[in-house]
This record gives sequence, C-alpha cells and structure tokens, in this order.
Amino acid sequence: MKKNPVTTKTQTTDLGSSFRDPSGFLFICEGILYRQVNQAYREEYSRLMESGLYEKLVKSGLLIAHTESTIQPADATLYYKVICPERVPFISYPYEWSFGQLKDAALVTLSIQKRALKLGMSLKDASAYNIQFPKGKAMLIDMLSFEQYQEGEPWVAYRQFCQHFLAPLALMAYRDVRLNQLLRIYIDGVPLDLASKLLPWRTRWNLGLATHIHLHASLQKRHAHSDLNVVRSAQKMSKEVFLNLVENLRTTIRKMKWKPAGTEWADYYKSNNYKDNAFEHKEILVGDWLKKINPRTIWDLGANTGFFSRVAGQTGAYVVSADIDPAAAELNYQKVKQDDEQNLLPLVLDLTNPSPPIGWMNRERDSFLQRGPVDAVLALALVHHLAISNNVPFSRVADFFTSCGEWLIVEFVPKSDSQVERLLRNRKDIFDEYTREGFEKALGEKYAILSSSAIRDSERWLYLMRRK
Amino acid sequence: MIWLYLDPGSGSFLVQLLIASAAGVVIFIGASWRKIARWFRKNKSEEESSDDEDSND
Repeated sequence: MKKNPVTTKTQTTDLGSSFRDPSGFLFICEGILYRQVNQAYREEYSRLMESGLYEKLVKSGLLIAHTESTIQPADATLYYKVICPERVPFISYPYEWSFGQLKDAALVTLSIQKRALKLGMSLKDASAYNIQFPKGKAMLIDMLSFEQYQEGEPWVAYRQFCQHFLAPLALMAYRDVRLNQLLRIYIDGVPLDLASKLLPWRTRWNLGLATHIHLHASLQKRHAHSDLNVVRSAQKMSKEVFLNLVENLRTTIRKMKWKPAGTEWADYYKSNNYKDNAFEHKEILVGDWLKKINPRTIWDLGANTGFFSRVAGQTGAYVVSADIDPAAAELNYQKVKQDDEQNLLPLVLDLTNPSPPIGWMNRERDSFLQRGPVDAVLALALVHHLAISNNVPFSRVADFFTSCGEWLIVEFVPKSDSQVERLLRNRKDIFDEYTREGFEKALGEKYAILSSSAIRDSERWLYLMRRK
Repeated sequence: MIWLYLDPGSGSFLVQLLIASAAGVVIFIGASWRKIARWFRKNKSEEESSDDEDSND
C-alpha cells in the first residue's frame, strides 16, 4: 500500500481511489488532477509512449490523453514523472451504468487489450473503474494499466475482467438487469461462484459462459490454494491463443443483449397525462431559465430518457442525466451514442438511496453527493415520487436539493394530477402539506424563489430557485 | 518469477491454459483436416484468407 505522500511546497491531496497500484497514484494540486508515475513504472511508461500504443489508443478515442507536467511530485522518493490527464467531468461507477454502458466498457477494454498485445504490451488490470464516459463514449482513464507482454504467459487480469464485466453482464442479460447492483456490494466485481449459481442453467450451453464463468468458478474453488508457479510451468499460452481468448470474450459479450421493455418508465413520455402544449411550454421555460443562469454543470434528477437533459445540454453545460429506471437510462445512452452527444452522461440512480461511498475506509469510491455539487439541478416531475411514494417531507426534499447544487428548476405536480392520483389510489392520503402553498413554503426556507410559472394546459407549476 | 501486483488466481490461470491446450487440439484437428481435404483436391490450389484489423464496438 502506498505511503502518505510527502507534501512539498504546494498543498496536495491524495485521492482514496488509487492506493493499490504501486505504479503511481492520483493527487490534486490547486484544483487540478495529476497522476504521479513512480520509478517502479518507468520502463512500462516509456514503452507505452514509445511503442506507438499511446498514440494509437488516444487517436481511436480508447484512452484518455495526458500531458507531462513539471509540477512538484507529491511523493519525491518514488517519483519518476507527473502527468496531467484530460479532465473527466464526472466520475461514474459501474453500478450506475446501464447495460449498454457496461457492455461498451467491456468491449473497449478488450479492444485496448488486443491493440496492446499487438505492440508487445498487455493490460495488467481490467477494472471497470478504469473506464469512464467523459465525452459520451467509454474510454480507459488509467494509463498505468499496461505492462510488458511476456510471451507464453496467460492474462493476469483475466479473473478481474470476468468479475468486473463478464459476470455482471451475463447476469443482467440472462437473469435480471437489476443484478448490476451486485457491483455495489462487491467492489472487485461479482465473485464467479456466485455468478455461476445465479445464472440460469441454460447458460452452460453457451461456450463462452461455460468456460469463462462456470468452469472458471469451479477451477477457482478447486485450485484456491494451488501454487501459481506450478500451474504456470505446466503449460504456456502462445500469443495467438491469447488473442483468440480476447476475441472469444469479445464475441461472448457482443452476443449479450438486453432490450429495454416492460420496465416502469420507458414509455412515460408517450403515456403521461399532459398535453403537447404543456410539454412544449415546459421545454421553453426550462431552456429560457437555464440560459439566464448559464450553469457549467447540471444534474437532471429523474431524467427519464433524457429529453430535458438535452434541452439543458444546449446551454453547453455538462449534464448528468440520472434515472431510477434501467430501461430509461439504456434508451438515453443509446441516443447519446447514436447522436455522438459529448456532454451528456446517462446513469441509473435511485435517489431514495443514492450511491454510498464504498471500499477501503469508505474512501475508494465517492458517494453520489460527494461528486457534487453542481451549478444547477433539474427536478422535473420528480417531487411527487419523493414526497408521496417515498414519504419524504418537503423540507427534507429541499435539504437534498440544496446539497446537490446552487440553482434549482423544480416542478410541482398537484394531487389533482392523474400521476399523483395514481400514486395515492391504493393508500391513505397522509400528505396534508402536499399543496402548492406547502411546497413553496418549505422550499422557500432554503431557497429564494426567483421565477414561477403555471405550466400551460396542466395543473403543474415550474419554479426557478436559488439556494439562500 | 514475474512480479504481479494483483493475485491472478491459480484457477484463473488454469482456465486459460486449458483453453490454450483445447485451442491446440482444435488447431491440430483443423490442420489435419485441411491436409486430408487438400489430398482429395490435389489439383485445386487453395489460399487462406485472414481478416485482421479489428473494429471497435
């Protein structure tokens, strides 16, 4: 494990996420993110840069670009170089990704591995956390993941790849899409014996899954205490077979499909109760207000398939477009891909239980709120779900929004609206404060209400507020 | 002895080596099959094509 960095003239903060790899670590200095490359990684780093692999990967958009920096190292004893990677506007985690995002992250990892092998290098780790979507597309953000390829050696990161990508994808595709949430519990990926137990029996007929998950799991169990060197000396693995293995993983993953259908909100825009007029009016209001406040970062919470995230994105801001429904997030992501949208990040997120901080000392992966605050929050057709379905008083809804960002565009949906009627149909109405007046009063304690407008042809209201 | 910073797992190495030897068998059978096929079609010359460059996604 890495020692605490020695602080030099400038104040630096090390990040809790990068202590495991002795090749280097991340630190922040004056608000800018740097990565120190340690002496231990000197040879590999030079090889990455000189073999042409770095250039090839950056050019194909598979690896994040970086520049070498002259800043003081955070730990001078280990120091080889300090590099400054391009900024990732929002770090997201695999348990927040839709099926398509995790699938693309897996395919990008394999694509990189294939190119690396051809140039005499190999990925020494295949962690899903090393993949991010800074411009809409999956790319590797850790340039210290490469090592020199040793002819005859199997893939060191094979197990990690299977746990981080193959197992959760198979569970999502062949059992239930919600099983990606297992990644929230198992920070190093879904244990293969567990995946093997949970997958339907018929997946044993799938050659890829039969070997990479089922056989893999049973051999892991049988050889948990075997000496790796004995195993290694028994047989070598040629580069050709290595490449075939990567190709086989790729085919196995490519064949996995999950179609968003039958989940709760995917057809929301089609079946909701308000008229086109209302929708258009809301679009105009949101667009105008955002233009006025000109935010750089926006969280669209309860974004559905991201219609209003796109309205917001037109201001040039970077928009995180989160919804609880995996189908909505999937449709949202497919649209990002299709239209090459670079400032929109769809995520699957349950706002009543947002991502907690996880890992060693709860510091490896940040909670959702720790990754804020943002300039502006959009909460459209959301408050009734929080207040009624989840029994959260308005004052606490306000607390949550204030911890997310400074500006708030929020929609109030009254009890008389069919969406709320539906939520109340089978339960006792215990929500006396759920009125427009109650809403304005509770939010008004934390916010200055700068504009409000009834939404045309509906009973809903839209507000622009600024945190006090 | 190669220094590894993650434990790759003996079982995980074994699977790959099994795949490697299975691939060896497949390649051997494939090569033998091609030999036999060629013997039957002596007069026909055949060329093998290989597709190489990969496309992402």
